[in-house]
Amino acid sequence: MSDKSNPYKVPTTGHVWDDNLAELLNEPPKWWMIGFWASMALVVIYWLVYPSIPLVNSHFKGLMGWTAIKEFKQDMQAIEEVRAKYENRLPGMSAAAILADDELTQYVTRSAKVLFGDNCAACHGTGGAGNPNFPVLVDDDWLYGGKIENIVQSIANGRRGFMPAHAGKLSEQEIADLAKHVKAMSEGGEYAPGKELYAGKGACFACHGQDGKGMTAMGSANLTDGIWRFSPGTEEAIAYTIAHGVNDSNDPKTRDAVMPKFAGKMSETEINKLAVYVYKLGGGQ
Amino acid sequence: METTEKYHFDVVRWFTIMAVVYLVIGTLVGVIIASQLAWPALNFDIAELTFGRLRPLHTNAVIFAFGGCALMATAFYTVQRTCGVPLWSNKLAWFTFFLWNFIIICAVITLPLGITQGKEYAELEWPFDILIAVAWLAYSFNFAMTIAKRKTSHIYVSNWFFLGMMVMITYLHVVNSLAIPVSLFNSYSIFSGVQDAMIQWWWGHNAVGYYLTAGFLGIMYYFVPKQANRPVFSYRLSVIHFWALMFGYVWLGAHHLQYTALPDWTGSLGAAVSLAMIIPSWGGAVNGMMTLSGAWDKLRTDYVLRFLVMSLAFYAMSTFEGPVMSSKTVNALSHYTDWGIGHVHSGALGWVVMVAAGALYHMIMKLWNTEMYSDKLVNLHFWMATIGAVIYIVAMWVSGIMQGLMWRDYDEFGTLSYTFAESVAAMHPYYVMRAVGGLIFWGGAAVMMYNMFMTIRMASATRGVGAPARA
Repeated sequence: MSDKSNPYKVPTTGHVWDDNLAELLNEPPKWWMIGFWASMALVVIYWLVYPSIPLVNSHFKGLMGWTAIKEFKQDMQAIEEVRAKYENRLPGMSAAAILADDELTQYVTRSAKVLFGDNCAACHGTGGAGNPNFPVLVDDDWLYGGKIENIVQSIANGRRGFMPAHAGKLSEQEIADLAKHVKAMSEGGEYAPGKELYAGKGACFACHGQDGKGMTAMGSANLTDGIWRFSPGTEEAIAYTIAHGVNDSNDPKTRDAVMPKFAGKMSETEINKLAVYVYKLGGGQ
Repeated sequence: METTEKYHFDVVRWFTIMAVVYLVIGTLVGVIIASQLAWPALNFDIAELTFGRLRPLHTNAVIFAFGGCALMATAFYTVQRTCGVPLWSNKLAWFTFFLWNFIIICAVITLPLGITQGKEYAELEWPFDILIAVAWLAYSFNFAMTIAKRKTSHIYVSNWFFLGMMVMITYLHVVNSLAIPVSLFNSYSIFSGVQDAMIQWWWGHNAVGYYLTAGFLGIMYYFVPKQANRPVFSYRLSVIHFWALMFGYVWLGAHHLQYTALPDWTGSLGAAVSLAMIIPSWGGAVNGMMTLSGAWDKLRTDYVLRFLVMSLAFYAMSTFEGPVMSSKTVNALSHYTDWGIGHVHSGALGWVVMVAAGALYHMIMKLWNTEMYSDKLVNLHFWMATIGAVIYIVAMWVSGIMQGLMWRDYDEFGTLSYTFAESVAAMHPYYVMRAVGGLIFWGGAAVMMYNMFMTIRMASATRGVGAPARA
């Protein structure tokens, strides 16, 4: 080997493979050897500091007494100390009472943000802006009422809308006429043939009211405000709802409208927090 | 082509070709699933094309199809040349080739169909696990027997690493795959609960440690000194870091399960040995880099050497990063985030693919006894691979650390600042960036495949020999 191919000027082991493969007798770099022994020392130190050594029925606990669950509990405790100032006041407090207290309202809306994001946003959208066929929570249109106690009820016990399917009771023409009228109502007008069915054969007034403004007691929709429970608010979509109803188990094509019940899945305090959060989204009444 | 007389190189040629082909396919699937994470509409609502089905296809394609063929090509090439004898059995080598490729075809069919054991990097169902064991043992046995009948007095360092990999992967694969079959395509692991998780990560990390590290160090130890035409810097260094890696790596799996149901002592044991692996890992990088002393000028003109040097730099970086991520403080932040994906890819794209690409280019030229069809395309591949890998890794670092920080962030009321969905939304730009980086990296691999086929065509046309057409 020429000098250029062996700048270290040390001999090789004397073995040659495949014509020109050889190994020099250089010592490993000093820093590397120091690092190597330091690494071995580190393992021993780490084993002493942390629980690392299994024994017959137990294990060596480590000099610091560290455990993962202890670390977790300490972290949680630090956070809970910050929260405690507010959290301690919440149990037994009604949502309305929370709303009356500015400081608590501020705390609750902050802490419910993640609750909402993880439990509600999938249907109601981030920030409650709604998704197609799921109610918007940021406007002041409420199927079941927008008072704080109504909202608590909706979250705790869930809601299950109902509207009978009319496909067998009304002809296609009648349904189309009705849909035209409902669409017209939402724009402040009316459609005479549909209006007659609304108040007569279709019996729509029984739930949606003579004026079409709906009834929060039964969750029937307000048909005059141009806000649609089932999007889009076209005549076809309205006709579909009239024909197949909502949650009508006799019609396989019926609309789904189920808000699940959260009592049991969440604590009362969490439900109250969420109710205040939803109320504060902008549409509470 | 006197070498073809002396050694069994046809099977090596075919492993070489298939390694490059699988690199292109495996990384393409990677680009597809990266794009699906950025734009979920690309799932097309077809179950077989969803991320959950294609992700194991990607990992199996790059690890076992590409990585396996690269390891078999290089090991069979290296062992013959450094022992001065042909393979113990050419037939057994061909058997290994066909069986291995048959397993890959089975994976391509069964994984998108959702047939899986649900074990990461060990998804294939029990019949394929048995075939893998058979192919792997055929490969290992042939390799060992070739060493046994060698004409050289000592066993070259590359072959220690290959042998170490073969022994360890055999027992890791067999133990992790122990399962009770209930039907042809369904089985249940014989381990349960946290033991199953521990065995899974004992395999999971050591697939990285022995297959993708020790095996590829075997590649490095042959191809770096060969390509640079320099002796290995230090024999002693290679001995120490070989044994340190062999004894150390196997403890590391537990660091994947810190802060879980795994007992604290097991996780800490894994983390301690992980931290102690930085320096032994660097032993390989140092030995490779210092072998190049006096040959650095070659980097200006030798594009293949560039791949090898860059791979050592990535290797040194990711073997530092990994242990750091296994320390408790960092792990609490980095675990379950994209940082893990970034770390894996700095090893996979930067180290494994780069060192393999350097070796494969070297072998293509030797096996077909020619120059590359285009040196410029080798250089283009080098830059695309480097830039693509860096974009990918940086995107995942930023997104992973951001995820970790967002998940743990509390406001002044002691309540979480962000919802999970907000952290997902924040990832979007980085997922796009990752897909772009991956696409560039894939483009480089495609350039390599084109260059390889043109080289083989050129060599076959001008000489009328060396074309691996007789398979």
